[in-house]
Amino acid sequence: MGPVMIRTYDLWKQYEDEGHDGMALRGINLEIKKGQIVTLFGKSGSGKTTLLNLIAGLDVPTKGRVEIDGRDIEALGEAGRTLLRRNKLGFVFQFFNLLPTLTALENIMLSLELAGMNDKRPALEALEHVGLAGKEGRFPHELSGGEQQRVAIARALVKKPPVILADEPTGNLDSATGTQILDLLVKRCRDNEATLIMVSHALNTCEYADRVLRMIDGRIVEERSCEDLAR
Amino acid sequence: MKGVVRSFLRYLVRRKSLSILQLLGIAFGVAAVVGMTLASRSALQGLGNAVDFLRGGATHTLERPAGPMEERVLASLMADPAVKHFAPVIDRKVRLEGWEQVRFLGVDPFLDRDVRSITARIGSSGKDNVREEAFSSFLFDPRAVLVDENLARNMRLSPGSTLQTSQGPFRVVHVFPNPSGEPLVIIDIGHAQELFRMKGYIDRADLVVTDEEAFRGRWATGFRLESGRQHALTLSALLGAFKLNLQALSLFALFVGVFLIYNTAMFAVVSRRRDAGVLLSIGASRGQIAAAFLIEVLILGAAGGVLGGVLGFLLSGFLVKIVGNTISTLYFFLRPEALPWSFWNLAGGVLLGTAASIIGSMPSLIELRRIQPVLVLRGRTASRGASKRARAIAVSGAFCLAAAAGLFSLSFLHVYVGFAGAFAFLLGSSLFAGFIIILCTPAAKYIFSRVMGLSGKIAVGNIRENLGRTSVAVAAFMIALSMSIGLGSMIDSFRSSLLWWMDSQLRGDLYISTKGDVNVPEELYEELKGIRGIGGIDVFRSVPMTFRGRPASITSIDASVLQRYDRFGWFEGGGENWEAVKRGSVVISESFSRRFNVKKGDVVTIEGADGPVGLHVTGIYYDYASEHGVVMMDRSTYLGLFRDRTINSLGIFIDESGADHARIIEEVKQRARSYNLPFATREEFHKRILHIFDSTFAVTRSMRILAVIVAFFGMAGALMTLFVERRKEFGIFRALGFTTGDVARMTVAESLGMGLISFFMSTVVGTVFAVILIKVINLQSFNWTIFYHFSAGPYAVTALTALAASLAAAAYPVWSVLRKYPVMQIREE
Repeated sequence: MGPVMIRTYDLWKQYEDEGHDGMALRGINLEIKKGQIVTLFGKSGSGKTTLLNLIAGLDVPTKGRVEIDGRDIEALGEAGRTLLRRNKLGFVFQFFNLLPTLTALENIMLSLELAGMNDKRPALEALEHVGLAGKEGRFPHELSGGEQQRVAIARALVKKPPVILADEPTGNLDSATGTQILDLLVKRCRDNEATLIMVSHALNTCEYADRVLRMIDGRIVEERSCEDLAR
Repeated sequence: MKGVVRSFLRYLVRRKSLSILQLLGIAFGVAAVVGMTLASRSALQGLGNAVDFLRGGATHTLERPAGPMEERVLASLMADPAVKHFAPVIDRKVRLEGWEQVRFLGVDPFLDRDVRSITARIGSSGKDNVREEAFSSFLFDPRAVLVDENLARNMRLSPGSTLQTSQGPFRVVHVFPNPSGEPLVIIDIGHAQELFRMKGYIDRADLVVTDEEAFRGRWATGFRLESGRQHALTLSALLGAFKLNLQALSLFALFVGVFLIYNTAMFAVVSRRRDAGVLLSIGASRGQIAAAFLIEVLILGAAGGVLGGVLGFLLSGFLVKIVGNTISTLYFFLRPEALPWSFWNLAGGVLLGTAASIIGSMPSLIELRRIQPVLVLRGRTASRGASKRARAIAVSGAFCLAAAAGLFSLSFLHVYVGFAGAFAFLLGSSLFAGFIIILCTPAAKYIFSRVMGLSGKIAVGNIRENLGRTSVAVAAFMIALSMSIGLGSMIDSFRSSLLWWMDSQLRGDLYISTKGDVNVPEELYEELKGIRGIGGIDVFRSVPMTFRGRPASITSIDASVLQRYDRFGWFEGGGENWEAVKRGSVVISESFSRRFNVKKGDVVTIEGADGPVGLHVTGIYYDYASEHGVVMMDRSTYLGLFRDRTINSLGIFIDESGADHARIIEEVKQRARSYNLPFATREEFHKRILHIFDSTFAVTRSMRILAVIVAFFGMAGALMTLFVERRKEFGIFRALGFTTGDVARMTVAESLGMGLISFFMSTVVGTVFAVILIKVINLQSFNWTIFYHFSAGPYAVTALTALAASLAAAAYPVWSVLRKYPVMQIREE
């Protein structure tokens, strides 16, 4: 494995309007290397998505800091974090979050345009790689759930970002489609040597991971194997 | 950036029906302002044309401060070195048979051609012999007249036709072009003097003066010299308050329009919130998102502006007629033509539409820039803090109301301050919409669940849960309804104040001729005095004057008659004022007092026939006859001051002690008929005044309707948005077993619920708005007191409007429900 791509230092996050004490993260220290595929398990409310949002710079920690590729993302400022998401991060959501007014191709192109690339070819290739060649003109509501998630993966990967953050990418799909999506996502990340952090409930996700982390009440525990996780 | 913009703009096409509703809302708001502005400009242009045409090449007019001027003055004018040309004029009105009054101008065909070209062209279209014949007829036939082309067209007249008038028949010898639009009849001045019994007198002289300063010095005493510019300014000043009110009315409609745009922008933000979160998470900047949103809003604003410009132009054709009629009824004859189509209508519409869009969408834009992607991607978190936000917005509404109160207390500075206060009040009230919805929810839930069952109960819950959307729609609708109640109550209060005023001041049993009609010969007055049973005759004369450079009027009456029979409403003083009036003091109208800050006990200086005269003010009375102010004096004082014996009208008071009322009235009528004079009983006269009053508010009624139309689009848009945004919920309803009818009922209930809450709020806001219009705006604009009078009419009309608009607004969404609900499923995307 290569150098450290993501590092968090004593990361805390407290929400004002959440239940109990509102503490979503409690001092997370984490190092994820370049090209590593990490799955993050945990019950609902354990802080998985919060951690992902903090890594993406979409949310601000109450305490602690996050470094991507050696750079403190808080120090980047709002504009810097926007550029970080534009060029170095790819997002895959549970509910796909495609823009409903754009076609499959336009959704992918959007990612490229934001990164300053206006060439259609990579977008068409990305669609082909996710098995949707010929469906570039379809709008999200004209695609099945699995197809929408494939478009979302193509959108995240097309600009070849070093980091992919996937929040329950199979959570809204049937198990067969889920497996296909995981195969695709992991393969594309390995091909691109991208670091992948994948939040999941599904145990089969574990099999794809280089590292398995479990979150319990805002704290992180490293699991040695998928069997340990199952226990 | 292109992709971000595209993703936003596609919503306009994707949600066509919603976009159309929003577009129409903006268009109608803009149309109100464009239409009213064009109508106002047409009126001013028409006024300019009329003044220019009648003035011709004259630089000044010379007349006595009141009444006719002696003909011998012309000899002095001829000798004055500063006078290049002069033309005597008799300027009167006659009533055409079955038609309205027209201006009847007596001119000297030889002298007038140096000033105007009308008489120089007599018979110009015919051969020389025809021309000569026409000219000699005009000169020697006492019944020969020239008529303008508009009148000729309307009455189907041509040379040789007979024109029937209240002064008998006239023979048309020539038809002349008249670009002013005002119907005009011209007669030789000598014949006019005979006709109007003015032997040796003229009304004024139109002059071409070369050295104004020197001329003014020589003619300062006993005359009123007015330049063409001053005359136009005087006429324009007469329209000042009227114009201001037209502008204010159109601004109120735009205000509702801006609300609608705010409404639209809020809906757009609600539906773009999640997309904005996605865009932020994939690397779009907040600036890009805001810019894309702004582009969307501007496109909608510009398109609405273009449509509004066109609609406004069409509307101006309708409004210009109403405005022209109102000005003609209240001030002076004006028949403005609608302005021709111009590119600037579109440019102005776009400018208004986009400016209003930017203002209306600013809060939404700020909200969009502050969006937290983490929150919006979690789902519909907006309503979680909605109650808290509604309360915070209500607090800012309270600050707005406090600011409005502050502005009202400063409204004495200028009427604009009052208008600003009225806008602040409406804005402040509208900010309470969300809070009121929260307060009304339990009661509304109870009522709707009783009347409409579960659908009604859920509908009220939906209104409450979607505060972000519903509160803005309720606010816009409430403002429109409040305007309707406010303007309606103001008009009703004004009407009842007018009734009170007429009952107290116009108590004569019969009126012969009235202000604006033909004058009453003094012989008739003398004759009538001899009829037994007549207790008193009020001799009425009203003349315009310029006081401290602004238009006002002088009225002369018979103080002893009014003291005996009328019950004047006194602003200051009481019936004892008449004693002083009989001795030479004057009473002034409330509007005169307020406009010129003249109080009881002050002295007003008026230009009389022999120079300035100071008159002691003994009292102030309520008056709705003229917003420019009236100085009222006894006829004896007036005659001493102006030596003008003209009588405009007579008020006949029958002595009730044993008199044969009907017989005396009939005898007076008979005498009036013999002089070709119109007459009216008290009831008829009051009815005529009320008719004028009602027609005056035609514009106001148009604007009320327009404001409600604008708000209707807001309601329909809100309902459509609720429908579009809650498809997933509809899927759940379907899964739970709700029928299409249940959901359609729910949609109707949502519309009715919002309509009901809007109406409930508008009863309070509208009543306060009426009081503001009465106590602040009207007082500042017209300087007269209107007494607030509660009347249920405006509330009933507004309730019906709210009900109809709510049902109509629900029609399209219900149709969508009927079409789409049966195939809806529970889906996230």
